[in-house]
Amino acid sequence: MRSLTVLYDSTCDLCRAARVWLEREPMFIPLNFVAAGTPLAKRRFPQLDVASTLRDITVIDDEGSVYRGAKAWVLCLWATRRYRAWALTLGSPRAMPAAKRFVNWVSRHRGQLGAAGWVLRRMG
Amino acid sequence: MEPIVITYALYLVISILLTVWVARTLSKNGRIFLVDVFSGNGHLADSVNHLLVVGFYLVNLGFISLTLKLGYLVRDAQESIEALSGKVGVVLLVLGAMHFFNLYVFSRVRRRSELMSALPPIGPDACTAVAG
Repeated sequence: MRSLTVLYDSTCDLCRAARVWLEREPMFIPLNFVAAGTPLAKRRFPQLDVASTLRDITVIDDEGSVYRGAKAWVLCLWATRRYRAWALTLGSPRAMPAAKRFVNWVSRHRGQLGAAGWVLRRMG
Repeated sequence: MEPIVITYALYLVISILLTVWVARTLSKNGRIFLVDVFSGNGHLADSVNHLLVVGFYLVNLGFISLTLKLGYLVRDAQESIEALSGKVGVVLLVLGAMHFFNLYVFSRVRRRSELMSALPPIGPDACTAVAG
């Protein structure tokens, strides 16, 4: 795995803040951010269902493996230098169900979580 | 010979022997650990190991020589043993602290190298074609 492409919802404040935060982190593996549903995203991944990429954050590695939702988040953290240990904990079979529930909840309510995006920007 | 001189001589001999023993233990057992950290590169492990042991000797011998002076007179064997025991006790505690510090450094280095080579904890959901 040499690089990861992150398809994110560019219309949501929280997602944009998360992108800015991840872009500032030192990485083991570089992330390329592409706004989901744009012509560029469709051109690069013609087989991916656009509606699903707009619903859940989607990460695709250079070999074409697709990770969605909580798995996509774990992979993004795994790519960072500082949070790889966290990713290994969160991605373990014991923690993954809770991580999935949390990410799905945040994802469903991301329209109302603009304030969290603001906090994330201040933290970064 | 004056009792104080004998005390000093004994202090130096005991502390230096202890330092040598701890350093040898550290380098003998630390090597296996470092070879694993540097993924089997024995030369690099030996080199790092040697550098660590040199640092260990410098700090400990420096400490031993700085704390040599007793500050009071020793008149007989009893006082000599008491003074010696106090001095050697402090040296032992410092050696112990240095030893644990070295272990901490080893385990940090090892943890780092484990993280560097860790695979993603999760498998993909699907596969897709990637264009250009």
